[in-house]
Formats: sequence, structure tokens, C-alpha cells
Amino acid sequence: MSGLTQDRLWSEAVILEAPNRVLRVQSTRDAFLCLKNHWPLPDGDGSARSEALAACDRVIEGQDEPDVARAAFIRAAEEARFAVHSWTGNEGA
Amino acid sequence: MAGPEDKAIRVRDVMTRQVYTVSPTDTAQSVARLMKETGVGALPVEVPGVGTILGIVTDRDILTSVVAQGLSTSTAVFEFMTVAAESCEEGDSILLAAQKLHDLRIRQLVVVDEKRHAAGIIALADVIRVSPELGGLVLDGMSRHEPVNQQLEGMSPCLA
Repeated sequence: MSGLTQDRLWSEAVILEAPNRVLRVQSTRDAFLCLKNHWPLPDGDGSARSEALAACDRVIEGQDEPDVARAAFIRAAEEARFAVHSWTGNEGA
Repeated sequence: MAGPEDKAIRVRDVMTRQVYTVSPTDTAQSVARLMKETGVGALPVEVPGVGTILGIVTDRDILTSVVAQGLSTSTAVFEFMTVAAESCEEGDSILLAAQKLHDLRIRQLVVVDEKRHAAGIIALADVIRVSPELGGLVLDGMSRHEPVNQQLEGMSPCLA
């Protein structure tokens, strides 16, 4: 949990839409929490969700750039069938 | 307000050192997610990349200033945070910290270092833990006050 004292902001927010639900995410820590606690699909080996969680972890630890987590988060959102809105799309993928 | 034994206790002795901070451009919903994960109801707001503390945001701020007002959960923190110049330092006595909690009618105070970066947070519960009598006086003072209009300029009460 101590890793959550750090955050890495993204260059641009990602907005996810599902019926009766809008998630606005603009940082790595928040993406990690969405994936961990507020995600519609269960975790599983090889899933885009688990890859995104790992990417967020690396970015929070300073081992990767924030937009890598953003790109992984968008892939996980698409896997979960969210409608994904962002100006710049999946840059960093 | 308290006996000499309380004056020997410093803020550094009782504060929580693990501080989760948020940025002014974070949203109400992202702050709520962090509060859920950490179990913390009050988070200092800092300038990203600089670390200077600008104020504090509480779960009560989200309820009263966002949800109750019908604002979007995407509302940015800077629109509803408590802009607070008030803070304390690690070397301050808990008597001084308790006095600030009492006077400002708040339950958490950010502890800052010489660069005004967050070094910790001290809560009324921390004061009560080490000095029930002093904490009781703060609580008593809060309950006796009328709902304020005598708060400091730029401050809003944090009763969370």
C-alpha cells in the first residue's frame, strides 16, 4: 500500500463509459485503483486487466513512463467493453 | 488547556507519517477511490511535481460540496478543497496542534516540513490517544461552538 503514496499523472485523461457509469481517470494510481476495485471483469492470467495492473505497478515504482500505464489501461477498458473516450487515443502502446 | 506532561509530547511523536496526497486537478471520484482504498478520510492537496501543500480535501467535502450540490463526480479538487494556510510542524507541541484543531474546528491538520511539503498528518484521534483529557477539551470546544462565521479567511471547517 505504501506505493500508493506516489502517483504519476497522465498527459491526458481517459473517460470510460458503461450503462449508468462514467469513470474519469487521469493518473496511474487512480487507474490501478479502478482496475483493482471497480472493474467489471475478474482478473485472470494474460488478461489485459492483469497486464494493465502490472504496468501501473511499474510506473508507480518509476520503472516506466506514465503513458505506458495509460495505454495498458485503455486496452483493459476495451477488453471490459467500456466505451473509451480520449483525444489522443492509445498512445504509448 | 493541559498539564505539563502534555507539553512534552511533540507532533512528531503522534502523527501519521504515511501521507497520501492528491493534486488539485484530481477529481472527486478519484479522491473517493483513494479514500476507499486507504481508509483515510482527509488527504492533503499538493502541487504536482513541487510538493507544496495547498490545502486539504475530506470525504465530507465530497459529500457536501459535490454530491449534495449536484455537481459532477468529475469535478476537480481545486473547486471544492479547503484552501488552508494552517498547518503545523513536527516539532510543535501537541498542545499547539490541539489549540489549532480547537480554534479552527477541524479534525485533521497537515504536518509540513521547512519546504512546506507534507511530512505527516495529525488527527484529533491522535491527540485523544495520547492525551484523552486534551482531546476531550478540543471535542468539547467544538460541540459548544455555534456553527461558525468566525472562521479564518480562506478556511472552511473540516468536520469529517
